[in-house]
Amino acid sequence: MVKEHTFAFFLGCIMPNRYPAIEKATKFVMEKLGYEILEMERATCCPAPGVFRSFNKFDWMVAGARNLCIAEQLDADILTVCNGCFGTLQEINKHLKENEEHRIQVNEKLKLLGDYEFKGIIDVRHVAEVLGYEVGPWGIEDHIVRKLNLKAAIHYGCHFLKPTRIREIESSEGPTIIEDFVEALGIESVRFKEQLTCCGAGGGVKAYSGDASMTIFGEKMKNIDEVKPDIILDICPFCHLQFETGQDYLNKNKECNYDYPVFHLSQVLAYCMGMDVDFIGLQYQMMGRDFIFGGEDVKKEEAI
Amino acid sequence: MSDVEEQQKNREFKTDDDFDTEFFKRIENRSNIMKCIQCGTCTASCESGRWTALKTRSIVRKVVLGDLSVLDDPDIWLCTTCYQCYERCPRDVKPTDVIMELRNYATKRGNISPNHRAVVGYLKNFGHAVPINDEVRKRRVELGLEELPPTAFKYKQEGDDKDLKKIEKYMFDLPPVKEEKKGEEK
Repeated sequence: MVKEHTFAFFLGCIMPNRYPAIEKATKFVMEKLGYEILEMERATCCPAPGVFRSFNKFDWMVAGARNLCIAEQLDADILTVCNGCFGTLQEINKHLKENEEHRIQVNEKLKLLGDYEFKGIIDVRHVAEVLGYEVGPWGIEDHIVRKLNLKAAIHYGCHFLKPTRIREIESSEGPTIIEDFVEALGIESVRFKEQLTCCGAGGGVKAYSGDASMTIFGEKMKNIDEVKPDIILDICPFCHLQFETGQDYLNKNKECNYDYPVFHLSQVLAYCMGMDVDFIGLQYQMMGRDFIFGGEDVKKEEAI
Repeated sequence: MSDVEEQQKNREFKTDDDFDTEFFKRIENRSNIMKCIQCGTCTASCESGRWTALKTRSIVRKVVLGDLSVLDDPDIWLCTTCYQCYERCPRDVKPTDVIMELRNYATKRGNISPNHRAVVGYLKNFGHAVPINDEVRKRRVELGLEELPPTAFKYKQEGDDKDLKKIEKYMFDLPPVKEEKKGEEK
């Protein structure tokens, strides 16, 4: 039985190495909500499903299982903040629990990497799913000190919900988990055309063909721009990176003029739960730097 | 010679050597590829194929036939793995998994782009596909976080590189760059 209300915090790559403010915000939020967050020492890249799974699926499973073993040794479920990490670790975890033949093969190769053995005793969770279903919009009300009043274009990304039969969270064709949750924070979700399509970064496409990636992303931005949201809200640092650098690319190369601030769900929630606005990290981002959250105080509580 | 005759003459026909019926049998372990009825739901749902040359249905067909030219097709690298075809396929073919398997075979043959090679290098050297830089180190300190996250790279910096040494040695071995491919790859 794994420890309750405790998570092994899987950082991944882009969050700690590009957007550390998302890491800060996630830790802040989870600890305020009463969860214990454990560090996963010696973890590596998940490894990224788009690239490493494409090169060698077996090694991808072994490297993923190594990360899972680190959490197993901590006796805690994994918390991921990124759709890519979630995709990799959740899928490998589920697959190795079910497939004995692969589990034996993976464990055999794991011995080469150190004292690791995949046992299959933990689950892998995504912060959006923990917030949306475990904490819930009903449970967050007591914890928020500020309520926002803004319109957000919500981007789910691909690997949070799909493949639905492996993730088993909710339908990928009309999900509402994030909309329902952020409504409690005073955020209105604005629907836009082709809302659930890919940001164009995944599958190794961003590295393989920047042009193709930016064409897919350009269409996405065009649809978002039609509804003029106040912010773009994502749940994945890789999508986050794509929205940030992509807007800049389109402005410089495709005669666009976008300046939408991009926030991870953790960042917005941390603000609503009273984190100092300097820690939200907008000053480190490229887009929408003039944006001011505003909103109203719900009740008095000390900010950190 | 008329244009049509010229075209006919220069047209490349597939020979038996281009097909390998054993090849797709191994892929079949992972998916239901023989169930494909070529309905085209995958191509219609493809979020990359709307803007690129990626035609999932045609790729699946080539795999069914055992047409090995698909492994040299650059289009297989344009899939963003959005899983839209996987979700909607009425025959449960799992086209995303098929493309992943094709990429595995292509990689073994040395068909891997220099950018992707670089990403593998990052994992072996830093333990991350996206390594940290000085700017972000500074931001982490300003945010009150550890300058380096507690991942394998931090231990390497502290002189304990046993984890990354092993990953470098045993994981993601790539074939050498093909000589004739040099320069013409994207």
